[in-house]
Amino acid sequence: MKKPFHGSIKVLYIGLILYGIITFIPFIWALSASFKSLAEISSGGSNFIPNSFTFDNYKQIFLQEPRFGRWLFNSAIVALIVTFFNLLFNSMAGYALARVRFPGNQFLFFLILAVLVVPAQITLLPKFLILKSLGWLNSYQGLIVPTVVNATFIFMMRQFFLNFPKELEEAAALDGLNRFETFFQVVLPLAKPALAAQTIFIFMGSWNEFLLPLVVMSDPDMFTLPIGLNAFKGQYITYWNYIMAASMVFTLPALAIYAFFNRYFIQGVTFTGGKS
Amino acid sequence: MTLKSEFLKRRNIQEALSGYLFMTPTLIVLGIFLVLPVLYAIVLAFHSVNLLGEVSYRFTGLKNFMRIQGDERVAIALKNTMQYVAIVVPIQTLLALGLALALNAKIKGRSLFRVAFFLPTVTSSAVLTLIFMWIYNSNGLLNNVLSFFSLPTYNWLGDPEVALRGIMIMNIWATAPLFMVIYLAALQDVPESLYEAASIDGATGWGKFWCITLPFLRPVTFFIVVMGIIGTFQLFDQSYIFSNGSGGPNNATLTIVLLIYQYAFKNLDMGYALALTLVLALVIMTVTIIQRQFFGEERLD
Amino acid sequence: MDLPLWRSQVRFGMKNWVSRWTCFGLFLLLFSCQLKSRNANAPIEITLSGWQSNPNESKLLASVINDFEIKHPNIKVKREVINSQYMDVIKTRLIGDVAPDVFYLEAFEAPMLMKSGVLEPLNAYITPSYDLADFEPSLLTAFQQNGKLYGVPKDFSTLALFYNTTAFQNAKLAQPPKTWAELTQHAKQLTVDTNRDGKPDRYGMGIAPELPRQLFMIQAFGGRLTDHNNYASFATPNAVKGLQLLVDQYRRDRTVAQPSDVGANSNSEAFGQGKIAMAIEGAWAIPYLKETFPDLKFAIAEVPTLNGKKGTMAFTVAYVMNRQSKHKDAAWKLIEFLTSKDGMKSWATEGLALPSRQSVAAALKYDRDPLYAPLATGATYATIWQSGETLPTVMTSFDNQFISALLGQQPLKDAMKKAQDTANREIYWSN
Repeated sequence: MKKPFHGSIKVLYIGLILYGIITFIPFIWALSASFKSLAEISSGGSNFIPNSFTFDNYKQIFLQEPRFGRWLFNSAIVALIVTFFNLLFNSMAGYALARVRFPGNQFLFFLILAVLVVPAQITLLPKFLILKSLGWLNSYQGLIVPTVVNATFIFMMRQFFLNFPKELEEAAALDGLNRFETFFQVVLPLAKPALAAQTIFIFMGSWNEFLLPLVVMSDPDMFTLPIGLNAFKGQYITYWNYIMAASMVFTLPALAIYAFFNRYFIQGVTFTGGKS
Repeated sequence: MTLKSEFLKRRNIQEALSGYLFMTPTLIVLGIFLVLPVLYAIVLAFHSVNLLGEVSYRFTGLKNFMRIQGDERVAIALKNTMQYVAIVVPIQTLLALGLALALNAKIKGRSLFRVAFFLPTVTSSAVLTLIFMWIYNSNGLLNNVLSFFSLPTYNWLGDPEVALRGIMIMNIWATAPLFMVIYLAALQDVPESLYEAASIDGATGWGKFWCITLPFLRPVTFFIVVMGIIGTFQLFDQSYIFSNGSGGPNNATLTIVLLIYQYAFKNLDMGYALALTLVLALVIMTVTIIQRQFFGEERLD
Repeated sequence: MDLPLWRSQVRFGMKNWVSRWTCFGLFLLLFSCQLKSRNANAPIEITLSGWQSNPNESKLLASVINDFEIKHPNIKVKREVINSQYMDVIKTRLIGDVAPDVFYLEAFEAPMLMKSGVLEPLNAYITPSYDLADFEPSLLTAFQQNGKLYGVPKDFSTLALFYNTTAFQNAKLAQPPKTWAELTQHAKQLTVDTNRDGKPDRYGMGIAPELPRQLFMIQAFGGRLTDHNNYASFATPNAVKGLQLLVDQYRRDRTVAQPSDVGANSNSEAFGQGKIAMAIEGAWAIPYLKETFPDLKFAIAEVPTLNGKKGTMAFTVAYVMNRQSKHKDAAWKLIEFLTSKDGMKSWATEGLALPSRQSVAAALKYDRDPLYAPLATGATYATIWQSGETLPTVMTSFDNQFISALLGQQPLKDAMKKAQDTANREIYWSN
């Protein structure tokens, strides 16, 4: 799409900047709050620049909570492993549902849709009982294995592969590649934008997951960050200053992942000749 | 049997086999951690269950489902949720599409915009909630802006008439960028050659959009709408926080999942909670199937 | 279709990528398994789960636990802080038989757990030297069922009237209100609209429209929350009478406000910001106000009398023991230590709540501290925030409807009738 809306480029920019402000302000506000004292946040001013600028909140979360680094590590390791397997398994399943003809294809697709519909609050208890009988409570695999496949993104990958040009696969088949070779050598490399999108979502989802680790992990050494952060929320008073600081530390990795994989949308991938 | 049909048969078997192999990890993990729990839930829905302390299951047949009929709060929650879905899903889908198209155009600074637009999605929900409390606060940012333009101001957090609308705005704002990213990814796959061919045929920008881009985005739009419907039907966090878990005032913020949660965890009435879940699942399935007809998705063969 | 194109794209694309990431993934997996099996040689390990009110309290508790571990070198205490959805997590873990050995339990959640038999009765563990009689009797009752004691209260707080002394001086009010009629009058005088935009800049009082805060208002004129079968019974004229006072103040006088009306997250925050001149709050608000609003000048008095009687709410939390615990003796030793006179004294100094032992309260002079005395006195006549195991249902229903009456969507009488019917229908069905 080159220059889609010729004359209206100015209008487009104004719109984009306005929407940018709408999304940016809250984030900036959180950032500025992370440098304020609780007293200043609670006094209810709407100033963006802190009256008294302080690094205390950041210092406090690392000093006062000796396990903060450990939680960061736990979150990172779980998120990385989960993301890796999800990319692989979801794409495989999505591809099979979109492209491979096998009995039960439609049924499995509907099963996956059906599974999506059930609220997480409800499967939590049975899931917890299953993990317990596997002896996986308080372990990394207890958090990782149930989430290495994600019905949502199987569904998403299926929808992406529906549009995938058949010619490529036919050409690969003529070349004597079987389904697996075709998938890994032809299809997957060309699905980069979809994989990038998936990476962002899975990483973020795993990084932010709250309910499952809250129930599965009871040993403080095994907490992930969201569970650990929770400790800054007092029973009667919420320590917004600490929460804001911790959230900033917490948000950065997810944002970095996003910014990094974002380039796959900019590069673009072309299927057919003409451009190389 | 001819050689050709023999060959085709073998190919079909091979094809089916590889299909199952592709699905194996999914089938194992989803089977154990999703289908099994769901089956368990279905069985429990026909029981009166006590899981805490002395575990007991008492088969009660359809009692839990009969109870739903007489439970006026189910109807209210369903109505609230439907209303919410009907408003939020179209708006957030259109917004996501619009943003994606704008950011897919080759304009300067688009990667900056992409990061900025995505910020709401990476910010943790606890912080988002606080930020919105601050914005919606009766002397907060939103009311300041509204009064600057001499528009009426509201108590966004306390007034039930507007509380649900406030939740809707927040949800659209936080979800649209997520779907925007999926649209962006899909837009990368539109074959350039199609546009070029269209240009040669003398198609305008809008013409190309209607005849090429939009049809190409159909499968992804189906995904986004279904996920939007499922996500909004499962609205829980925000109404929980806004109403302190009660769904009040006078059930104005009661949603189906909040109701299920109340029964499951507050009353420990698992059987009934699961019966309600089944009804919710049925409703969403119906909506999805209707939607699938609407989008007329292509079949595999 | 030219094949070499995809070939060239693939070459630098997938093969390397896949193998590199697979190695990385396997490495991470192995690494994480190793990490898990590291710590296994501790003596006896017991888990203590609870929430934390603020970081200071947490530090104090950690040092008390440290003392305990020095005294009992063969017991190691693992602390776990759960601040969100605490009871959901505890209930789930109880169902899965992996609950902590010792955990916090709020009085209002106690009846359900005591009844279901997941808590260990403590009577057999208690020795005379522990001096159970030292505890505030009403607090112990909250954790008793059929003559068995299931928990030892760690602390408690009542509600009292916090008032802004600067605002009182400006309004020429010398004394805090003694009766609710006076309070209504004071609230009118304290409500000010400096910029005359029709919306007060400061309200007389804050209101929290939730059952835990308002139960004593229901009882003030002889109303009852539930009947002897644990069915809701608060839609009677007597029960509505006390609540009606609040609704009138909110709707007719417009002298009280909810936190959201004045742009605050809680009443204590609104009070700290000077947006309300009076608030009925608990001990936890005192350290918060001092810490967060150092310039605020405030004092505390007992809740004004209603219908000529004193009344307030009391909230208490106990340590309870899991019946499935594998180290019950160690668990009891921990409870005993934390609730002993010395243990309680060393961490009740934070001032978030009052100690549940009368001797400790006296030793720390809470009854003579001008801020804490009204809260301490309240203990003698307070209603403990507890009812039967149907309370969560009753509360949800009440909260849902009371606020709609407050907002004027329906008369209070109708709202309460509706709330009572909804609660009772649910209680009936769940039996």
